[in-house]
Amino acid sequence: MGPDGAPGPSVPWQKVLWERQPFPDNYVDQRFLEELRRNEGIRQYRYWTVVKEAGFVGQQLSCVAIFISLWLYMEQGLLSPETLLWSSLVCALLGYGLYQSLSSQVESGCEPRTRLADLQSAAIFLSFTFGFSPVLKTLTESVSTDTVYAMSAIMLLAHLVSFPYTHPSPPGSLSLNAALFASVCLASRLPGALHTFAMLSCALMVFALWPCLLQRVRDIAPTHFTGVCLGVCVGGVGGLGLQSPGGAVLLALALGSVTLLCPLLLVRLQRHKDNIQGPWDEAEIHEDLDHGRGT
Amino acid sequence: MGQRRRSAVKAPSSPSVSAAGEVARVPHKKHKICMVSDFFYPNMGGVESHIYQLSQCLIEKGHKVVIATHAYGRRKGVRYLTNGLKVYYLPLQVMYNQSTSTTVFHSLPLLRCVFVREGITVVHAHSSFSAMAHDALFHAKTMGLNTVFTDHSLFGFADVSSVLTNKLLTVSLCDTNHIVCVSYTSKENTVLRAALNPEIVSVIPNAVDPTDFTPDPSQRQDDTITIVVISRLVYRKGTDLLGGIIPELCLKHPDLHFLIGGEGPKRIVLEEVREKYQLHDRVRLLGALEHKDVRGVLVQGHIFLNTSLTEAFCMAIVEGASCGLQVVSTRVGGIPEVLPDDLITLCEPTVRSLCAGLETVIAKQRSGSVPSPASIHAKVRNLYTWRNVAERTEKVYDRVAGEEVLPLDRRLQRLRTHCGPVAGSIFALFAVMDFLFVLLLQWLVPDRFMDMAVDATGPQGLWRQEKSRKDSAIN
Repeated sequence: MGPDGAPGPSVPWQKVLWERQPFPDNYVDQRFLEELRRNEGIRQYRYWTVVKEAGFVGQQLSCVAIFISLWLYMEQGLLSPETLLWSSLVCALLGYGLYQSLSSQVESGCEPRTRLADLQSAAIFLSFTFGFSPVLKTLTESVSTDTVYAMSAIMLLAHLVSFPYTHPSPPGSLSLNAALFASVCLASRLPGALHTFAMLSCALMVFALWPCLLQRVRDIAPTHFTGVCLGVCVGGVGGLGLQSPGGAVLLALALGSVTLLCPLLLVRLQRHKDNIQGPWDEAEIHEDLDHGRGT
Repeated sequence: MGQRRRSAVKAPSSPSVSAAGEVARVPHKKHKICMVSDFFYPNMGGVESHIYQLSQCLIEKGHKVVIATHAYGRRKGVRYLTNGLKVYYLPLQVMYNQSTSTTVFHSLPLLRCVFVREGITVVHAHSSFSAMAHDALFHAKTMGLNTVFTDHSLFGFADVSSVLTNKLLTVSLCDTNHIVCVSYTSKENTVLRAALNPEIVSVIPNAVDPTDFTPDPSQRQDDTITIVVISRLVYRKGTDLLGGIIPELCLKHPDLHFLIGGEGPKRIVLEEVREKYQLHDRVRLLGALEHKDVRGVLVQGHIFLNTSLTEAFCMAIVEGASCGLQVVSTRVGGIPEVLPDDLITLCEPTVRSLCAGLETVIAKQRSGSVPSPASIHAKVRNLYTWRNVAERTEKVYDRVAGEEVLPLDRRLQRLRTHCGPVAGSIFALFAVMDFLFVLLLQWLVPDRFMDMAVDATGPQGLWRQEKSRKDSAIN
């Protein structure tokens, strides 16, 4: 048995069961584990590429910070709803123009949405938000302020966790809903109905439209994308810094760890990756099996 | 029940073989073996029939065999099967998928009782899905018994659940004397999973009772071509692939029929396909089949199709070939090792590749250039027999019986060096507690006060003596 069953026979060992071979059952051939494959299809990350990709996470964090600072300004009366609305409008128009100019370069095959359709959806959204803002304003009156803040914090965190960073356009339903829930909670604590309306339209812009624009920038102009992310991060830290310097320091630390430290860890730990594959792995079904079925 | 019929087939042959064996061979050391697994009859499957058939052949060779499993519903206590095979259905709580829960310790009193009463020398545990098997390995070591483990399945390494189960397997097999795998691929897999020395792992394939699976071409309808699929309808058996193959081939070949035996959550996929393409008369879903009905279904077909995504050995394709069918299968796991190339068409696990493979076999079938069922059966019938499995397993027992069982201090040391500092230390603690528990049990009910069970099988097996006495009385 085993090694004592000396490999005297001259026939080579075969990896088959149907033939009775002149080897003991626990014979270990040189070909043992020859089909083992290690770290197949592994991606070699380069530090700065990962940092650039992590920039998206950083800017989303900053977006949340910017939204919160805007809310702080509004709550303390440092920012009037009219100013916010007008600047939002300007930003939205600028962003829309940029989006259109970028899209004209890519999409040629599929039918693009018409301007009229866009205008229609914008009008519907705005009029409904405007109409409902008095209701939203009084929605959480019976709930204590602490609860509202805690819920907003949890929801914004949920937004950040569930945000689809690889394909942010359209933003995932869970992340978008969490962000809007938080916005409604926060907006209902503002002094007036117009404040609420301004805050909610701003939230729609930051959480729903901005990721779509940024995704397009990332696809078309990757060099500018880094600049935009950096700008948003600086804006976030700066905006928060005027209100609460402590918060700004924390945000800056978080941004630093997300965009610089975590990629470093990823690249460093990559060497320790030891992934083994072989014929024992469960086969994966890659084909689209639903062709013609169920559709 | 499957075993009842099989025993009827085997019964007449057993006395003659054992008689011949006694004359021809120097009497081996006889072992007292306890097979432990959560999976046994009335549950149906590959592991169950493996344990039953192996035990029968070992009894035939003069060993004493008892089986320990958990209680199935009202089936509790001791039962005797054919040839005095004693089965303990222990009242342990079933947690999930017929596997018992494990607290490591709670099964010790009952298992100790079985091991001591039966005077067990070798504990043979089956299947890595069975918590009871792992418990038994652990307790057997504490009680100073030698252990063997048979692994029937393949595992990946990628996801969290496999990482955890593989760690548990490492601990469990850390001081198991010998491991049996059913194919070379399975051996490689187990050696990697449990970080084992490959020399304590033997490859002993599964077997198929050729008398159960004989061809019968008269059952076929010769104006059509029938593809038989017999498997549980679950993701791992590739039912989704089957759902892709059926419409593709049925549209091309109007005389093609599918006969599908088996039940499972993916049945809905096949029903949808059947509904959508109006194939009710050509795709028959037979539902769950009992083992004894399998042959009746197999012989109705021309081609046997297996779409598994992972498989350690795959008895189904051997059964199909034994019934004289052309076998088409995916090339996964240990399947390429099982049948020679002239008996099987191997395909990649994709709809396209399987369709291409089936097309060539269908074309061959139409042109009549396939070998006859009888000639295929003749080739397959002696490839995998339970006698051969038992002979090879006996060698494993012989080897294991001579090995020393590590004393507690060296066992602890081995656990800690082999299983890593964290898991090793935890399980070393468990080993100590298990040891103390055994001491407590031995103090409460000393071994010498325990009733010894009457041997039904084995060297002084009463079952056989009784039978021979009866035989002589008749003569």
